[in-house]
Amino acid sequence: MRLDADSDSYTESQIIMTTVRIVAPFALTYGLFLTFHGADTPGGSFQGGAIIGSTVLMIAFAFGIEPTRDWLANRTVVALAAGGTAVFTIVGLIPMLYGDSFLAHPFFEEQWGIDTKWGLEAIEIGGVAPIVAGVVMGLFFVIAAGAVAEEVSMDD
Amino acid sequence: MSELFAGVLFAFVLAAAVATAAFRDTLTVIVVFAAYSLGMALFYAFLLAPDVAMTEAAIGAGVTTLLLLLTLAKTVREDTDQLLESVNVPAVLVFGGLLVVMVASLGEFPAVGADDAMAWYNPEVTQHYIANAYDDTGVENAVTAVLAGYRGFDTFGEAVVVFSAGIATLIVLNKEVFTRE
Repeated sequence: MRLDADSDSYTESQIIMTTVRIVAPFALTYGLFLTFHGADTPGGSFQGGAIIGSTVLMIAFAFGIEPTRDWLANRTVVALAAGGTAVFTIVGLIPMLYGDSFLAHPFFEEQWGIDTKWGLEAIEIGGVAPIVAGVVMGLFFVIAAGAVAEEVSMDD
Repeated sequence: MSELFAGVLFAFVLAAAVATAAFRDTLTVIVVFAAYSLGMALFYAFLLAPDVAMTEAAIGAGVTTLLLLLTLAKTVREDTDQLLESVNVPAVLVFGGLLVVMVASLGEFPAVGADDAMAWYNPEVTQHYIANAYDDTGVENAVTAVLAGYRGFDTFGEAVVVFSAGIATLIVLNKEVFTRE
């Protein structure tokens, strides 16, 4: 059931839609580049995740929040935000299972010969970037939908 | 050349900041505030802090502006013919006092890049990270090495704070899903 009646605030604009259609692939690529290349060049997963998230916000502004909300499943947002937190925690906890410290990346090299670098990459690419991208998207759509006090009272 | 650039940028950021405080119409304020953030992002890039510049551009100028615009669309925008906000004398006095204190303390700051700058007060620590970051962690960006390696636990806390912000918004707005099932 849709109680939010603000979908009329959307105005279709050829200029904005065309601009976003051209810019969005580049913005997404740049976000992915910052995320995956953040270990060796300026930038990093926080910035990359924020840009990946804002690409979706850009699409929502150009093509309407409602259709974008229908396209972006809640499952995706939760998987990014909660999955990222889980990856970060698990990568940190693995060394602890073997008696080392939390987030002790050199442990992977000593134990299994995996370069220390991959520990950092794992929490950056698998942790921080998905969390930031997911939360940026989630905040936007949940604020766009507004409070749903009426819906809750109807369920009772 | 670079001094001219810094001067123009400083004038732009200052003008945008004053405009943000002075304009009456909320939509105008949001747009001017985005311009301020973009100016600050350029400033950080100019001061050789590209990582901070990217964050300011993406979060400050991008996401914050969109969230503010969204809030404006969800609420009521006051119709006004007044261009400027009326001056609140007590607020101006308090802010003026603060400004005097801040400007007075400016002289105590070392010049950017000077040998006695704060960053070099503890040369053993800074030099340790610069000298050992690559050997210790295997990543070339020393900022990433510190954030994900040496100070990984702090970053873990920050990541959990961001995650909690998303969950807290769901709780405050009394919803169970971000988009739709």
